[in-house]
Amino acid sequence: MTSRNLFFKMVRQDIRRRMWCPVLIAIAYFLCLEVRLLMEIDRYGKEAGRYFYDRGFYDIAVFVREYFFGRDAAMMSIVTCAAAFLCGISGYAYLHSRTQLDTYHSLPVSRKQIFWSRYVSGILQFFLPFVIHMLICAGIAAGRDAFFIETVPVLVSYIVLHLLIFAVSYAVTVSAVVLTGNIIVSILGAAVLLAYSTVVDVLANLLSDRFFDTYIVYGNRTYAGISEKIWCFSPLSMLLKLFSRPNSLTMEEAKEFYKYDASYMWVLAAAAVAYSLAAYFLYLKRATEAAGRPIAFGAAEPVIKTMIVIPVSFLAAVFLGMISPESASGSWFLFGLAFSFVVLCILMEIIFRLDIRGIFMHKKQFLFNAACTALIYIVFRYDVLGYDLYVPADQQLQSCAVSIHDLMPLPQRADVSEFGSHYLGEGEYRMAHMEMQGNPSVMELARKAAKEQLTYRYFDHYEGIETVPEYIETMNRQKYYEPVSFGYKLQNGKTVYRKYIIDIADPETIRLLADIFEDPEYKLGSTPLFDADWDIAFDCVRCENNFKAAKIDLTPEMQAELVETYRKEYMELTLDTVMHKIPVGTIDFRTERDHVSSSYSDEMIVYPQFTGTIALLREYGFDMEEKLTAEDVGSVILRTHASHASEGENDAVEYTDKEQIQQILDSIVSDGLVNPVIRFTDLYDERYDIDVQYNAENGIKYYYRFLRSKLPDFVPAF
Amino acid sequence: MITAANVKKHFGEIAAVNDVTVTIRNGEVFGLIGTNGAGKSTFLRMVSGVLKPDSGTILVDERPVYENPKVKADIFYISDDQYFLPNATPKDMAGFYRDYYVSFDMVRFEDMLGSFQLEPDRKINTFSKGMKKQLSVLLGICANTRYLFCDETFDGLDPVMRQAVKSVFAGELAGRDFTPVIASHNLRELEDICDCVGILHQGGVLMQKDLEEMKLNIHNIQCVFQNTQEEQAALGLLEIVKAERRGTLNIITARGSEREIMGKINSFSPVFAEILPLTLEEIFISETEVVGYDIKKLIF
Repeated sequence: MTSRNLFFKMVRQDIRRRMWCPVLIAIAYFLCLEVRLLMEIDRYGKEAGRYFYDRGFYDIAVFVREYFFGRDAAMMSIVTCAAAFLCGISGYAYLHSRTQLDTYHSLPVSRKQIFWSRYVSGILQFFLPFVIHMLICAGIAAGRDAFFIETVPVLVSYIVLHLLIFAVSYAVTVSAVVLTGNIIVSILGAAVLLAYSTVVDVLANLLSDRFFDTYIVYGNRTYAGISEKIWCFSPLSMLLKLFSRPNSLTMEEAKEFYKYDASYMWVLAAAAVAYSLAAYFLYLKRATEAAGRPIAFGAAEPVIKTMIVIPVSFLAAVFLGMISPESASGSWFLFGLAFSFVVLCILMEIIFRLDIRGIFMHKKQFLFNAACTALIYIVFRYDVLGYDLYVPADQQLQSCAVSIHDLMPLPQRADVSEFGSHYLGEGEYRMAHMEMQGNPSVMELARKAAKEQLTYRYFDHYEGIETVPEYIETMNRQKYYEPVSFGYKLQNGKTVYRKYIIDIADPETIRLLADIFEDPEYKLGSTPLFDADWDIAFDCVRCENNFKAAKIDLTPEMQAELVETYRKEYMELTLDTVMHKIPVGTIDFRTERDHVSSSYSDEMIVYPQFTGTIALLREYGFDMEEKLTAEDVGSVILRTHASHASEGENDAVEYTDKEQIQQILDSIVSDGLVNPVIRFTDLYDERYDIDVQYNAENGIKYYYRFLRSKLPDFVPAF
Repeated sequence: MITAANVKKHFGEIAAVNDVTVTIRNGEVFGLIGTNGAGKSTFLRMVSGVLKPDSGTILVDERPVYENPKVKADIFYISDDQYFLPNATPKDMAGFYRDYYVSFDMVRFEDMLGSFQLEPDRKINTFSKGMKKQLSVLLGICANTRYLFCDETFDGLDPVMRQAVKSVFAGELAGRDFTPVIASHNLRELEDICDCVGILHQGGVLMQKDLEEMKLNIHNIQCVFQNTQEEQAALGLLEIVKAERRGTLNIITARGSEREIMGKINSFSPVFAEILPLTLEEIFISETEVVGYDIKKLIF
């Protein structure tokens, strides 16, 4: 008998012995693939509109190709990981049984063959049912006219992707089983290895966010606060990276319907090979007598304890800090850290010793872990490494991106492909596209902000706090605090991000901020509207002045002329204008599809000095400077924020007197005009919500604000 | 031939096998005797390639056994708690072992199942402990390996089945190159089957000897002499291991052949003298007492 024959016999033997495993997997996939596909196809036939609106699928075949065999791989990866976990644990659990080991290791076969025969058997137990189900799904789709030749490569890619996901998770699970000596510890160990790098990365983000005032994450792939620089050695991290939709910072990226990052499949393949080899070498090194012990390798025990105790203690501390009152959060964090550390150390000793008396063992290791925990805490708590103070030296800097939060243009949405709109966060866009150089105010503001280290102070709310002088003083001061993000692109190729709080009541800060805002690099890099690469064709422009809103249809030439005219005038816009002038209206470039209208640019403010834009819009049929009179209005209802919060709307005041209405109309500005700059101007009185009841529909959907300088005498004061 | 030289195996702080040196010749039945925890199972697990020794060498036919499938093809190991595949029948287990042992004799296995009244298609998990032991032995015999290692295999077998198994072993020994190594804590089980015995205690080998050689060289003698002077003179000629006196009756354990001992005693014309056979237990008690161990405490 050749050893190859024996190998295949062993594979067959193992599959036969664990037949329950592929049967269970087959049932799970039947429910998740065939049953769900039939449901989705039936639903598509009945509720096609839902698919158009949500996902932009105009054709059932496109839906099946792009979604069911595409993006849905993310959800299906949960089933695949569970299958890998099942196959890995059941395939190598014999390592925990002395009786089984005595039998298998006494047989005339090498350990290498035992390992790989079981390894291949585990993969086949997943792969065979999965491929059969996929082929049945293809048959179902073909039977419903939802499967075409273009779907074949997508289907193959989907199968390969799941095989890789399975392979990585399976190899990690096998490694965990080989490292441990009993089933409970194996399951815990596999869970830890499957998610370790994700947990550590989340923890690093949580700690940085808690302790570093300037911490902020940007990138083309940011998800759940985790940066794209995540350590991707655990399968969960890899899956997050594989499936997280990128921010798509270029037009080409945005056009794609994102299913998963196919290029990342190579990383999965490499990881699968690396983990498989690691599991194999651990298997060869594993002593037979390790069966029954919690950890098969004694030397690994302190390392594993440290790797678990420290991060989990910090996670517990972060959790306790989050649910505790703001004023005592730091104390609760420290208590949570100390308490969970001690409990975890005891728990680990009990798990490893399988005896509660084990808690008195390994005092040196306890002290070592305590010292490491304390050191990490001190590094974060007291910013030992100077994270918040960091500002690169001029000679280290290549260029800098700046994003002034809450100042137009705000986040934007683009219809760039058949699959619907694409959202662009303003911060991510600016960090990726802005390259400011030669403006000394940029680094001057950064250094000033880093030196001042302004932070928001939070209070525990209780009845009457609004009258506490300290609270009033703090709130009044913080009213002028604004976050500004910096992206330092360094000479060494790295990009470092920081978010500072600046005080816009400080004239020097405003001077520096104005220098930045008025820099053409800032303006051009702040919105894709002025980026030739983002060649968006708009369907209409929604114009709004203080009292009227309307959509105007434009030819491509008219659009181009309007954008160009607006761009020129926007480039001349100063921060002083934003702070001290009242806008006359907004324009919003929009796309429309199947009666669904979406904004691309959001509201771009038009100031009185944008004379070219105003003239062009008038030419296109919309008058930005049109005024309303009291005759056009039935009544004006005035509410205060206090009345909204505590007493409902009963204390709202309604004005029907034409004279009073006219006086009000002369002193209010629509929220639509105010919102994009509200944090930077003190012109408006935010205590009142003014609801103007027009006699005729005019498209306005906002409340109004009083101009501070024009508050009518008859309006009740607060 | 199996040779183990200075073999050591530690489980953490515990020395399970400590500097064991043993030679097991082909074609003989080797008994490995020791108390629980003496290291019998550990030694067998090392010899069968399950465990890797910490130090020392174990050679089977002059080849190392650990991770050597070619050598292991000549070995069948029956552990004290034999593993059977879940829901397997005797037939399934035979099929399992047939994949690994090329000379597994399926026809003979089915015949022997009949002889031992074991149903081939019955689930093994419904078998009694003794039936499982029988099945293990049958699987081991039918694997047709040169070496069969049995760890406490005779425990749980009723006397009839024990005899049946012994006769199977005897048949194998007569019919082919077959070397069973039987580990047990029960000397009586091994007495009538072993050719050579090694005794283990606290991980080390106390002694290893051929059973027949031991039996021929040590005897129990009961004798009564005519007077004290003759008695002292006669006993002075013998190599006494142990001597006891009950009234005028001397009960002596002495080294030497039956002829030699009786010659010396008869030369003093005793009133009564006879040689009694020694059990394996008695031989070991005597032998180990000589080397300073109180074997009664070790084994019984």
